[in-house]
Amino acid sequence: MKKLLLTIPLLLGITFITFSLTKALPGDPVYSIVGERSSPEIIEKIRKEIGADKSIVRQYGGYIKLLMQGELGRSYFTSRKVSDDICVKFPNTMRLAVASMLIAAPLGIFLGFIAAKKRGSPADRIITLLSVSGISVPVFWSGLLLMLFFSLRLRLLPPSGTGGVRYLLLPAITLSLPAIATLVRVTRVTVLDIMDMPFIRTARAKGIRESGISAIHIFKNALIPVITIIGLELGSYLNGAVLTETIFGWNGIGRYAMEGIIKRDYPVIMGCLLVGTLVFIFINIIVDVIYHYADPRVRVHGTDR
Amino acid sequence: MGLTGKISSGVLVLILLLSLAAPLIVPFDPDAIDLDSLRQPPTSKHLLGTDNKGRDILARILHGGRISISISLFAALISMTIGMAVGLASGYGGGKTDTVLMSLVDLILSFPAFLLAIGISIVLGEGIYTVMIALSVVGWASFARLIRGHVLSLKESAFIEAARSLGCNNSRIVLVHILPQCVPLALVMAGLKAGGYILTEAGLSFLGLGAQPPTATWGSMISASRVFINSAPWMVFSPGIMIAVTAVCFNLLGDALKEKYDIRIDREF
Repeated sequence: MKKLLLTIPLLLGITFITFSLTKALPGDPVYSIVGERSSPEIIEKIRKEIGADKSIVRQYGGYIKLLMQGELGRSYFTSRKVSDDICVKFPNTMRLAVASMLIAAPLGIFLGFIAAKKRGSPADRIITLLSVSGISVPVFWSGLLLMLFFSLRLRLLPPSGTGGVRYLLLPAITLSLPAIATLVRVTRVTVLDIMDMPFIRTARAKGIRESGISAIHIFKNALIPVITIIGLELGSYLNGAVLTETIFGWNGIGRYAMEGIIKRDYPVIMGCLLVGTLVFIFINIIVDVIYHYADPRVRVHGTDR
Repeated sequence: MGLTGKISSGVLVLILLLSLAAPLIVPFDPDAIDLDSLRQPPTSKHLLGTDNKGRDILARILHGGRISISISLFAALISMTIGMAVGLASGYGGGKTDTVLMSLVDLILSFPAFLLAIGISIVLGEGIYTVMIALSVVGWASFARLIRGHVLSLKESAFIEAARSLGCNNSRIVLVHILPQCVPLALVMAGLKAGGYILTEAGLSFLGLGAQPPTATWGSMISASRVFINSAPWMVFSPGIMIAVTAVCFNLLGDALKEKYDIRIDREF
Protein backbone atom coordinates (compact mmCIF):
# COMPACT_ATOMS: atom_id res chain seq x y z
CA MET A 1 0.00 0.00 0.00
CA LYS A 2 2.81 2.38 0.88
CA LYS A 3 4.26 1.65 -2.50
CA LEU A 4 1.03 2.67 -4.22
CA LEU A 5 1.08 6.02 -2.44
CA LEU A 6 4.68 6.52 -3.47
CA THR A 7 3.67 6.35 -7.11
CA ILE A 8 1.80 9.66 -6.85
CA PRO A 9 4.92 11.85 -6.46
CA LEU A 10 6.53 9.57 -9.01
CA LEU A 11 3.78 10.25 -11.54
CA LEU A 12 4.06 13.97 -10.84
CA GLY A 13 7.80 13.80 -11.39
CA ILE A 14 7.38 11.93 -14.64
CA THR A 15 4.76 14.28 -16.01
CA PHE A 16 7.02 17.14 -14.99
CA ILE A 17 9.86 15.64 -17.01
CA THR A 18 7.68 15.06 -20.08
CA PHE A 19 6.30 18.59 -19.61
CA SER A 20 9.83 20.01 -19.50
CA LEU A 21 10.75 18.00 -22.58
CA THR A 22 7.71 19.45 -24.37
CA LYS A 23 8.71 22.95 -23.27
CA ALA A 24 12.31 22.44 -24.36
CA LEU A 25 11.37 21.33 -27.85
CA PRO A 26 12.70 23.48 -30.65
CA GLY A 27 10.15 25.90 -32.13
CA ASP A 28 7.49 28.10 -30.55
CA PRO A 29 3.98 26.63 -30.58
CA VAL A 30 2.50 30.10 -31.15
CA TYR A 31 4.42 30.49 -34.36
CA SER A 32 3.36 27.07 -35.52
CA ILE A 33 -0.28 28.18 -35.14
CA VAL A 34 -0.15 31.65 -36.68
CA GLY A 35 2.87 31.33 -38.96
CA GLU A 36 6.16 33.18 -38.85
CA ARG A 37 5.05 36.48 -40.34
CA SER A 38 2.07 37.53 -38.24
CA SER A 39 1.86 40.89 -36.53
CA PRO A 40 2.96 41.16 -32.89
CA GLU A 41 -0.64 41.88 -31.79
CA ILE A 42 -1.97 38.61 -33.20
CA ILE A 43 0.92 36.69 -31.69
CA GLU A 44 0.21 38.29 -28.33
CA LYS A 45 -3.50 37.44 -28.65
CA ILE A 46 -2.85 33.79 -29.48
CA ARG A 47 -0.29 33.61 -26.72
CA LYS A 48 -3.01 34.73 -24.27
CA GLU A 49 -5.55 32.36 -25.80
CA ILE A 50 -3.45 29.22 -25.43
CA GLY A 51 -2.12 30.39 -22.08
CA ALA A 52 1.51 30.69 -23.08
CA ASP A 53 1.77 33.97 -21.15
CA LYS A 54 1.02 32.35 -17.82
CA SER A 55 3.69 31.24 -15.37
CA ILE A 56 5.37 27.89 -15.86
CA VAL A 57 3.67 26.51 -12.75
CA ARG A 58 0.21 27.43 -14.07
CA GLN A 59 1.08 25.94 -17.44
CA TYR A 60 2.18 22.73 -15.77
CA GLY A 61 -1.10 22.68 -13.83
CA GLY A 62 -3.02 23.06 -17.07
CA TYR A 63 -0.96 20.29 -18.63
CA ILE A 64 -1.80 17.91 -15.78
CA LYS A 65 -5.48 18.82 -16.05
CA LEU A 66 -5.49 18.02 -19.76
CA LEU A 67 -3.68 14.74 -19.13
CA MET A 68 -6.32 13.77 -16.57
CA GLN A 69 -8.93 14.26 -19.28
CA GLY A 70 -6.92 11.99 -21.54
CA GLU A 71 -5.94 14.85 -23.83
CA LEU A 72 -2.54 14.43 -25.45
CA GLY A 73 -2.84 17.05 -28.17
CA ARG A 74 -3.21 16.68 -31.90
CA SER A 75 -0.80 15.45 -34.50
CA TYR A 76 0.84 18.30 -36.44
CA PHE A 77 0.31 16.42 -39.68
CA THR A 78 -2.96 14.52 -39.57
CA SER A 79 -4.67 16.82 -37.01
CA ARG A 80 -6.11 13.69 -35.41
CA LYS A 81 -6.14 13.44 -31.66
CA VAL A 82 -3.06 11.61 -30.42
CA SER A 83 -5.14 9.93 -27.74
CA ASP A 84 -7.54 8.51 -30.37
CA ASP A 85 -4.67 7.16 -32.45
CA ILE A 86 -3.09 5.60 -29.39
CA CYS A 87 -6.38 3.92 -28.45
CA VAL A 88 -6.51 2.30 -31.89
CA LYS A 89 -2.89 1.18 -31.88
CA PHE A 90 -2.51 0.16 -28.26
CA PRO A 91 -4.39 -3.18 -28.55
CA ASN A 92 -2.10 -4.20 -31.42
CA THR A 93 0.93 -3.44 -29.32
CA MET A 94 -0.50 -5.40 -26.40
CA ARG A 95 -1.12 -8.39 -28.65
CA LEU A 96 2.48 -8.34 -29.79
CA ALA A 97 3.74 -7.90 -26.23
CA VAL A 98 1.72 -10.80 -24.89
CA ALA A 99 2.64 -13.04 -27.82
CA SER A 100 6.34 -12.39 -27.39
CA MET A 101 6.09 -13.04 -23.66
CA LEU A 102 4.23 -16.31 -24.32
CA ILE A 103 7.23 -17.39 -26.37
CA ALA A 104 9.85 -15.98 -24.03
CA ALA A 105 8.61 -17.05 -20.59
CA PRO A 106 8.48 -20.86 -20.99
CA LEU A 107 11.65 -20.99 -23.12
CA GLY A 108 13.64 -18.65 -20.90
CA ILE A 109 12.66 -20.33 -17.66
CA PHE A 110 13.25 -23.82 -19.07
CA LEU A 111 16.69 -23.00 -20.48
CA GLY A 112 17.74 -21.16 -17.33
CA PHE A 113 16.64 -24.11 -15.22
CA ILE A 114 18.61 -26.57 -17.35
CA ALA A 115 21.70 -24.37 -17.26
CA ALA A 116 21.60 -24.13 -13.47
CA LYS A 117 20.94 -27.83 -12.90
CA LYS A 118 23.81 -28.78 -15.17
CA ARG A 119 26.15 -26.08 -13.94
CA GLY A 120 29.55 -26.05 -15.66
CA SER A 121 28.51 -28.58 -18.29
CA PRO A 122 28.75 -27.86 -22.03
CA ALA A 123 24.98 -27.33 -22.04
CA ASP A 124 25.33 -24.63 -19.39
CA ARG A 125 28.11 -22.93 -21.32
CA ILE A 126 26.17 -22.93 -24.56
CA ILE A 127 23.00 -21.62 -22.94
CA THR A 128 24.92 -18.92 -21.08
CA LEU A 129 26.73 -17.81 -24.22
CA LEU A 130 23.47 -17.76 -26.16
CA SER A 131 21.85 -15.65 -23.49
CA VAL A 132 24.72 -13.15 -23.55
CA SER A 133 24.28 -12.98 -27.32
CA GLY A 134 20.55 -12.51 -26.84
CA ILE A 135 21.01 -9.30 -24.87
CA SER A 136 23.73 -8.12 -27.24
CA VAL A 137 22.07 -8.48 -30.63
CA PRO A 138 20.06 -5.42 -31.65
CA VAL A 139 16.40 -6.30 -32.29
CA PHE A 140 16.27 -4.32 -35.49
CA TRP A 141 19.05 -6.48 -36.87
CA SER A 142 17.78 -9.87 -35.74
CA GLY A 143 14.36 -8.83 -37.00
CA LEU A 144 15.73 -8.01 -40.43
CA LEU A 145 17.59 -11.33 -40.59
CA LEU A 146 14.48 -13.29 -39.58
CA MET A 147 12.51 -11.41 -42.20
CA LEU A 148 15.13 -12.07 -44.86
CA PHE A 149 15.25 -15.77 -44.07
CA PHE A 150 11.63 -16.70 -43.37
CA SER A 151 9.74 -14.25 -45.54
CA LEU A 152 11.92 -13.21 -48.42
CA ARG A 153 13.89 -16.42 -49.00
CA LEU A 154 11.69 -19.27 -47.73
CA ARG A 155 8.44 -17.33 -48.28
CA LEU A 156 6.84 -18.96 -45.24
CA LEU A 157 5.51 -15.84 -43.52
CA PRO A 158 4.52 -12.37 -44.67
CA PRO A 159 7.38 -9.86 -44.24
CA SER A 160 5.23 -7.07 -42.88
CA GLY A 161 1.74 -5.97 -41.99
CA THR A 162 -0.69 -6.16 -39.10
CA GLY A 163 -3.01 -9.13 -38.77
CA GLY A 164 -3.39 -12.67 -37.53
CA VAL A 165 -0.90 -15.20 -36.21
CA ARG A 166 1.01 -15.37 -39.48
CA TYR A 167 1.80 -11.67 -39.23
CA LEU A 168 2.37 -11.82 -35.51
CA LEU A 169 4.93 -14.62 -35.50
CA LEU A 170 8.09 -12.92 -36.78
CA PRO A 171 7.88 -9.68 -34.75
CA ALA A 172 6.94 -11.69 -31.66
CA ILE A 173 9.95 -13.98 -32.05
CA THR A 174 12.21 -10.98 -32.64
CA LEU A 175 11.01 -9.26 -29.51
CA SER A 176 11.20 -12.43 -27.46
CA LEU A 177 14.94 -12.94 -28.07
CA PRO A 178 16.23 -10.35 -25.56
CA ALA A 179 13.47 -11.32 -23.13
CA ILE A 180 14.48 -14.99 -23.33
CA ALA A 181 18.09 -14.02 -22.72
CA THR A 182 17.27 -11.96 -19.63
CA LEU A 183 14.99 -14.66 -18.26
CA VAL A 184 17.67 -17.31 -18.73
CA ARG A 185 20.20 -15.23 -16.83
CA VAL A 186 17.86 -14.49 -13.96
CA THR A 187 16.45 -18.00 -13.71
CA ARG A 188 19.92 -19.51 -13.75
CA VAL A 189 21.28 -17.28 -10.98
CA THR A 190 18.17 -17.70 -8.85
CA VAL A 191 18.08 -21.47 -9.16
CA LEU A 192 21.80 -21.69 -8.36
CA ASP A 193 21.21 -19.64 -5.21
CA ILE A 194 18.31 -21.80 -4.13
CA MET A 195 20.21 -25.00 -4.76
CA ASP A 196 22.79 -23.95 -2.15
CA MET A 197 20.17 -23.41 0.52
CA PRO A 198 19.94 -25.70 3.53
CA PHE A 199 16.30 -26.65 2.90
CA ILE A 200 17.27 -28.27 -0.40
CA ARG A 201 19.83 -30.40 1.43
CA THR A 202 17.17 -31.26 3.98
CA ALA A 203 14.76 -32.28 1.23
CA ARG A 204 17.43 -34.43 -0.34
CA ALA A 205 18.29 -35.98 3.02
CA LYS A 206 14.66 -36.83 3.53
CA GLY A 207 14.89 -38.91 0.37
CA ILE A 208 12.75 -36.83 -1.93
CA ARG A 209 13.41 -37.64 -5.57
CA GLU A 210 15.54 -35.15 -7.51
CA SER A 211 12.67 -34.41 -9.88
CA GLY A 212 10.43 -33.67 -6.92
CA ILE A 213 12.97 -31.30 -5.44
CA SER A 214 13.26 -29.49 -8.78
CA ALA A 215 9.55 -29.23 -9.29
CA ILE A 216 8.46 -28.24 -5.82
CA HIS A 217 11.29 -26.82 -3.77
CA ILE A 218 13.37 -25.07 -6.38
CA PHE A 219 10.81 -24.08 -8.96
CA LYS A 220 8.35 -22.58 -6.52
CA ASN A 221 11.00 -20.43 -4.91
CA ALA A 222 12.54 -19.37 -8.19
CA LEU A 223 9.21 -18.25 -9.56
CA ILE A 224 9.07 -14.96 -7.64
CA PRO A 225 12.16 -13.22 -9.03
CA VAL A 226 11.24 -14.64 -12.41
CA ILE A 227 7.78 -13.07 -12.25
CA THR A 228 9.44 -9.74 -11.50
CA ILE A 229 11.58 -10.00 -14.59
CA ILE A 230 8.64 -11.01 -16.76
CA GLY A 231 6.82 -7.92 -15.51
CA LEU A 232 9.79 -5.64 -16.07
CA GLU A 233 10.30 -7.05 -19.54
CA LEU A 234 6.65 -6.56 -20.41
CA GLY A 235 6.80 -3.03 -19.07
CA SER A 236 9.92 -2.04 -20.93
CA TYR A 237 8.52 -3.74 -23.98
CA LEU A 238 7.98 -0.44 -25.80
CA ASN A 239 11.76 0.05 -25.78
CA GLY A 240 12.18 -2.69 -28.33
CA ALA A 241 8.80 -2.24 -29.94
CA VAL A 242 9.68 1.12 -31.48
CA LEU A 243 12.30 -0.64 -33.58
CA THR A 244 10.58 -4.00 -34.11
CA GLU A 245 7.17 -2.67 -35.05
CA THR A 246 8.81 -0.33 -37.54
CA ILE A 247 10.68 -3.11 -39.27
CA PHE A 248 7.67 -5.38 -39.53
CA GLY A 249 5.17 -2.63 -40.29
CA TRP A 250 3.11 -3.60 -37.26
CA ASN A 251 0.47 -0.97 -36.63
CA GLY A 252 1.22 -0.36 -32.96
CA ILE A 253 2.42 2.38 -30.64
CA GLY A 254 6.05 1.68 -31.43
CA ARG A 255 5.67 2.35 -35.13
CA TYR A 256 3.48 5.33 -34.37
CA ALA A 257 6.28 6.76 -32.23
CA MET A 258 8.81 6.07 -34.97
CA GLU A 259 6.68 7.87 -37.55
CA GLY A 260 6.39 10.77 -35.12
CA ILE A 261 10.18 10.85 -34.73
CA ILE A 262 10.80 10.88 -38.46
CA LYS A 263 8.29 13.68 -39.08
CA ARG A 264 9.23 15.54 -35.88
CA ASP A 265 5.57 15.31 -34.88
CA TYR A 266 6.17 16.34 -31.26
CA PRO A 267 2.69 15.74 -29.78
CA VAL A 268 2.79 12.18 -31.13
CA ILE A 269 6.28 11.53 -29.73
CA MET A 270 5.47 12.94 -26.31
CA GLY A 271 2.15 11.09 -26.20
CA CYS A 272 3.85 7.77 -26.91
CA LEU A 273 6.61 8.54 -24.41
CA LEU A 274 4.06 9.30 -21.72
CA VAL A 275 1.86 6.29 -22.43
CA GLY A 276 4.90 4.01 -22.56
CA THR A 277 6.13 5.27 -19.22
CA LEU A 278 2.71 5.02 -17.59
CA VAL A 279 2.35 1.42 -18.76
CA PHE A 280 5.82 0.70 -17.44
CA ILE A 281 4.93 2.05 -13.99
CA PHE A 282 1.52 0.42 -13.97
CA ILE A 283 3.00 -3.00 -14.68
CA ASN A 284 5.62 -2.46 -11.98
CA ILE A 285 2.84 -1.82 -9.50
CA ILE A 286 1.03 -4.99 -10.58
CA VAL A 287 4.25 -6.95 -10.16
CA ASP A 288 4.63 -5.56 -6.66
CA VAL A 289 1.10 -6.63 -5.80
CA ILE A 290 1.65 -10.13 -7.19
CA TYR A 291 4.89 -10.25 -5.25
CA HIS A 292 3.04 -9.34 -2.12
CA TYR A 293 0.64 -12.25 -2.49
CA ALA A 294 3.04 -14.80 -3.93
CA ASP A 295 5.68 -14.47 -1.26
CA PRO A 296 4.63 -14.54 2.40
CA ARG A 297 8.08 -13.33 3.41
CA VAL A 298 7.49 -9.99 1.68
CA ARG A 299 4.33 -9.50 3.66
CA VAL A 300 6.18 -10.07 6.92
CA HIS A 301 9.33 -8.08 6.20
CA GLY A 302 7.80 -5.25 4.21
CA THR A 303 8.09 -4.59 0.52
CA ASP A 304 11.84 -4.81 0.35
CA ARG A 305 13.03 -6.60 -2.73
CA MET B 1 40.43 -12.96 -15.01
CA GLY B 2 39.27 -16.11 -16.74
CA LEU B 3 39.72 -17.09 -20.34
CA THR B 4 36.49 -15.49 -21.57
CA GLY B 5 37.45 -12.22 -19.92
CA LYS B 6 40.84 -12.24 -21.62
CA ILE B 7 39.41 -13.17 -25.02
CA SER B 8 36.66 -10.59 -24.89
CA SER B 9 38.94 -7.76 -23.79
CA GLY B 10 41.37 -8.85 -26.52
CA VAL B 11 38.65 -8.69 -29.17
CA LEU B 12 37.53 -5.27 -27.92
CA VAL B 13 41.07 -3.90 -28.10
CA LEU B 14 41.41 -5.39 -31.58
CA ILE B 15 38.20 -3.75 -32.81
CA LEU B 16 39.27 -0.45 -31.30
CA LEU B 17 42.75 -0.61 -32.87
CA LEU B 18 41.36 -1.57 -36.26
CA SER B 19 38.94 1.37 -36.16
CA LEU B 20 41.66 3.79 -35.12
CA ALA B 21 43.96 2.51 -37.86
CA ALA B 22 41.16 2.47 -40.44
CA PRO B 23 42.84 4.75 -43.04
CA LEU B 24 45.93 2.51 -42.97
CA ILE B 25 43.93 -0.67 -43.48
CA VAL B 26 41.36 0.34 -46.07
CA PRO B 27 42.41 2.62 -48.92
CA PHE B 28 38.85 3.90 -49.43
CA ASP B 29 37.26 7.06 -48.12
CA PRO B 30 34.23 5.94 -46.06
CA ASP B 31 32.04 8.72 -47.44
CA ALA B 32 33.27 8.75 -51.06
CA ILE B 33 30.44 7.96 -53.46
CA ASP B 34 31.44 5.70 -56.35
CA LEU B 35 28.68 5.31 -58.91
CA ASP B 36 30.62 2.65 -60.84
CA SER B 37 30.42 0.15 -58.01
CA LEU B 38 26.93 0.29 -56.56
CA ARG B 39 25.86 -2.53 -54.25
CA GLN B 40 28.65 -4.92 -55.14
CA PRO B 41 28.83 -8.14 -53.17
CA PRO B 42 32.10 -8.80 -51.31
CA THR B 43 35.09 -9.01 -53.65
CA SER B 44 38.84 -8.98 -53.14
CA LYS B 45 38.81 -5.23 -53.77
CA HIS B 46 35.89 -4.44 -51.48
CA LEU B 47 36.21 -7.10 -48.78
CA LEU B 48 32.71 -6.55 -47.38
CA GLY B 49 31.16 -5.25 -50.58
CA THR B 50 29.82 -1.78 -51.30
CA ASP B 51 26.59 -0.05 -50.34
CA ASN B 52 23.87 1.62 -52.39
CA LYS B 53 26.11 4.62 -53.04
CA GLY B 54 29.14 2.54 -53.95
CA ARG B 55 30.90 3.27 -50.67
CA ASP B 56 33.23 0.62 -49.27
CA ILE B 57 31.43 -1.11 -46.39
CA LEU B 58 34.61 -2.17 -44.57
CA ALA B 59 35.83 1.43 -44.54
CA ARG B 60 32.47 2.61 -43.26
CA ILE B 61 32.38 -0.06 -40.58
CA LEU B 62 35.83 0.77 -39.28
CA HIS B 63 35.21 4.53 -39.30
CA GLY B 64 31.76 3.98 -37.83
CA GLY B 65 33.33 1.86 -35.11
CA ARG B 66 35.28 4.87 -33.88
CA ILE B 67 32.04 6.73 -33.31
CA SER B 68 29.96 3.87 -31.92
CA ILE B 69 32.63 2.67 -29.50
CA SER B 70 33.80 6.08 -28.34
CA ILE B 71 30.22 7.21 -27.69
CA SER B 72 29.59 4.13 -25.58
CA LEU B 73 32.86 4.36 -23.67
CA PHE B 74 32.51 8.06 -22.96
CA ALA B 75 28.89 7.65 -21.93
CA ALA B 76 29.89 4.81 -19.62
CA LEU B 77 32.65 6.99 -18.14
CA ILE B 78 30.38 9.99 -17.66
CA SER B 79 27.56 8.02 -16.10
CA MET B 80 30.04 6.19 -13.89
CA THR B 81 31.52 9.46 -12.63
CA ILE B 82 28.15 11.08 -11.95
CA GLY B 83 26.77 7.87 -10.49
CA MET B 84 29.74 7.46 -8.14
CA ALA B 85 29.57 11.05 -6.96
CA VAL B 86 25.85 10.81 -6.29
CA GLY B 87 26.15 7.36 -4.76
CA LEU B 88 28.90 8.47 -2.38
CA ALA B 89 27.09 11.65 -1.39
CA SER B 90 23.83 9.82 -0.92
CA GLY B 91 25.19 6.79 0.90
CA TYR B 92 27.66 8.58 3.13
CA GLY B 93 25.70 11.76 3.62
CA GLY B 94 22.43 10.03 4.44
CA GLY B 95 19.46 12.01 5.74
CA LYS B 96 17.81 14.56 3.47
CA THR B 97 20.55 14.44 0.83
CA ASP B 98 19.96 10.73 0.53
CA THR B 99 16.19 11.09 0.23
CA VAL B 100 16.37 13.77 -2.45
CA LEU B 101 19.06 12.09 -4.52
CA MET B 102 17.45 8.68 -4.35
CA SER B 103 14.04 10.04 -5.37
CA LEU B 104 15.76 11.48 -8.41
CA VAL B 105 17.33 8.09 -9.11
CA ASP B 106 13.96 6.35 -8.73
CA LEU B 107 12.42 8.87 -11.08
CA ILE B 108 14.98 8.23 -13.81
CA LEU B 109 14.74 4.47 -13.35
CA SER B 110 10.97 4.50 -13.66
CA PHE B 111 11.21 5.54 -17.30
CA PRO B 112 11.70 2.88 -19.93
CA ALA B 113 15.36 3.67 -20.73
CA PHE B 114 15.26 3.71 -24.50
CA LEU B 115 12.14 5.89 -24.64
CA LEU B 116 13.70 8.45 -22.31
CA ALA B 117 16.85 8.46 -24.43
CA ILE B 118 14.69 9.10 -27.50
CA GLY B 119 12.91 11.97 -25.73
CA ILE B 120 16.18 13.62 -24.72
CA SER B 121 17.73 13.19 -28.17
CA ILE B 122 14.73 14.81 -29.80
CA VAL B 123 14.81 17.79 -27.49
CA LEU B 124 18.55 18.33 -27.87
CA GLY B 125 18.53 17.75 -31.62
CA GLU B 126 20.23 14.81 -33.26
CA GLY B 127 24.01 14.39 -33.20
CA ILE B 128 26.88 12.51 -31.63
CA TYR B 129 27.09 14.59 -28.45
CA THR B 130 23.36 14.38 -27.97
CA VAL B 131 23.55 10.60 -27.96
CA MET B 132 26.34 10.72 -25.40
CA ILE B 133 24.35 13.05 -23.16
CA ALA B 134 21.14 11.04 -23.56
CA LEU B 135 22.92 7.79 -22.64
CA SER B 136 24.57 9.39 -19.60
CA VAL B 137 21.41 11.07 -18.34
CA VAL B 138 19.59 7.75 -18.50
CA GLY B 139 22.49 5.65 -17.26
CA TRP B 140 23.97 7.34 -14.18
CA ALA B 141 21.02 6.41 -11.98
CA SER B 142 21.74 2.69 -11.79
CA PHE B 143 25.39 3.42 -10.93
CA ALA B 144 24.26 5.74 -8.16
CA ARG B 145 21.92 3.17 -6.66
CA LEU B 146 24.55 0.45 -6.81
CA ILE B 147 27.32 2.58 -5.28
CA ARG B 148 25.01 3.89 -2.59
CA GLY B 149 24.18 0.36 -1.47
CA HIS B 150 27.86 -0.50 -1.29
CA VAL B 151 28.72 2.68 0.62
CA LEU B 152 25.99 1.94 3.13
CA SER B 153 27.49 -1.44 3.93
CA LEU B 154 31.04 -0.05 4.00
CA LYS B 155 30.05 2.76 6.34
CA GLU B 156 29.35 0.29 9.12
CA SER B 157 32.55 -1.70 8.69
CA ALA B 158 35.33 -1.75 11.24
CA PHE B 159 38.03 -0.09 9.17
CA ILE B 160 35.89 3.01 8.69
CA GLU B 161 35.29 3.18 12.39
CA ALA B 162 39.03 2.80 12.93
CA ALA B 163 39.74 5.60 10.48
CA ARG B 164 37.24 7.81 12.24
CA SER B 165 38.67 7.12 15.66
CA LEU B 166 42.13 7.96 14.34
CA GLY B 167 40.75 11.40 13.56
CA CYS B 168 40.09 11.23 9.82
CA ASN B 169 37.62 13.84 8.70
CA ASN B 170 34.68 12.96 6.46
CA SER B 171 36.21 13.97 3.15
CA ARG B 172 39.30 11.90 3.86
CA ILE B 173 37.21 8.89 4.80
CA VAL B 174 35.15 9.16 1.63
CA LEU B 175 38.01 9.85 -0.77
CA VAL B 176 40.74 7.66 0.68
CA HIS B 177 38.88 4.83 2.35
CA ILE B 178 35.51 4.42 0.68
CA LEU B 179 35.99 5.57 -2.91
CA PRO B 180 38.72 3.04 -3.82
CA GLN B 181 36.51 0.24 -2.48
CA CYS B 182 33.77 1.26 -4.88
CA VAL B 183 35.91 1.32 -8.00
CA PRO B 184 35.78 -2.41 -8.89
CA LEU B 185 32.01 -2.40 -8.52
CA ALA B 186 31.71 0.67 -10.71
CA LEU B 187 34.00 -0.86 -13.34
CA VAL B 188 31.93 -4.03 -13.54
CA MET B 189 28.82 -1.96 -13.99
CA ALA B 190 30.58 0.20 -16.59
CA GLY B 191 31.49 -2.90 -18.60
CA LEU B 192 27.93 -4.19 -18.57
CA LYS B 193 26.58 -0.71 -19.28
CA ALA B 194 28.91 -0.13 -22.21
CA GLY B 195 27.46 -3.27 -23.80
CA GLY B 196 23.98 -1.84 -23.40
CA TYR B 197 25.10 1.58 -24.65
CA ILE B 198 26.43 0.07 -27.87
CA LEU B 199 22.92 -1.25 -28.50
CA THR B 200 21.14 1.93 -27.48
CA GLU B 201 23.46 4.06 -29.59
CA ALA B 202 22.81 1.75 -32.53
CA GLY B 203 19.07 1.99 -31.91
CA LEU B 204 19.15 5.79 -31.78
CA SER B 205 21.25 5.92 -34.95
CA PHE B 206 18.82 3.51 -36.55
CA LEU B 207 16.04 5.99 -35.78
CA GLY B 208 18.10 8.78 -37.33
CA LEU B 209 18.76 10.45 -33.97
CA GLY B 210 22.51 9.79 -33.85
CA ALA B 211 25.34 10.92 -36.10
CA GLN B 212 23.97 12.42 -39.28
CA PRO B 213 24.67 11.22 -42.83
CA PRO B 214 27.02 10.80 -44.55
CA THR B 215 28.89 9.94 -41.32
CA ALA B 216 28.68 6.21 -40.79
CA THR B 217 27.70 4.53 -37.55
CA TRP B 218 26.77 0.88 -37.26
CA GLY B 219 23.16 1.62 -36.47
CA SER B 220 22.66 4.10 -39.29
CA MET B 221 24.31 1.71 -41.78
CA ILE B 222 21.69 -0.91 -40.98
CA SER B 223 18.93 1.67 -41.14
CA ALA B 224 20.05 2.88 -44.57
CA SER B 225 20.39 -0.62 -46.00
CA ARG B 226 17.06 -1.93 -44.68
CA VAL B 227 15.36 -1.49 -48.03
CA PHE B 228 18.04 -3.52 -49.78
CA ILE B 229 17.77 -6.48 -47.42
CA ASN B 230 16.68 -8.82 -50.18
CA SER B 231 18.86 -7.65 -53.05
CA ALA B 232 22.00 -6.79 -51.08
CA PRO B 233 21.91 -8.56 -47.70
CA TRP B 234 25.66 -8.11 -47.14
CA MET B 235 24.94 -4.44 -46.49
CA VAL B 236 22.93 -5.44 -43.43
CA PHE B 237 25.05 -8.37 -42.21
CA SER B 238 28.37 -6.80 -41.32
CA PRO B 239 27.34 -3.76 -39.27
CA GLY B 240 24.97 -5.95 -37.24
CA ILE B 241 27.71 -8.47 -36.57
CA MET B 242 29.98 -5.67 -35.36
CA ILE B 243 27.32 -4.37 -32.98
CA ALA B 244 26.61 -7.85 -31.65
CA VAL B 245 30.27 -8.85 -31.24
CA THR B 246 31.18 -5.61 -29.48
CA ALA B 247 28.19 -5.80 -27.16
CA VAL B 248 28.86 -9.49 -26.40
CA CYS B 249 32.47 -8.68 -25.55
CA PHE B 250 31.50 -5.83 -23.20
CA ASN B 251 28.96 -8.07 -21.49
CA LEU B 252 31.38 -10.99 -21.15
CA LEU B 253 34.04 -8.64 -19.85
CA GLY B 254 31.59 -7.28 -17.29
CA ASP B 255 30.66 -10.82 -16.26
CA ALA B 256 34.31 -11.83 -15.99
CA LEU B 257 35.11 -8.81 -13.82
CA LYS B 258 32.06 -9.59 -11.75
CA GLU B 259 33.38 -13.07 -11.07
CA LYS B 260 36.90 -11.83 -10.41
CA TYR B 261 35.85 -9.34 -7.76
CA ASP B 262 33.09 -11.63 -6.53
CA ILE B 263 30.43 -8.98 -7.01
CA ARG B 264 26.70 -9.46 -7.15
CA ILE B 265 24.47 -7.10 -9.05
CA ASP B 266 20.95 -8.23 -8.40
CA ARG B 267 18.89 -5.95 -10.57
CA GLU B 268 21.22 -5.26 -13.38
CA PHE B 269 19.62 -2.32 -15.05
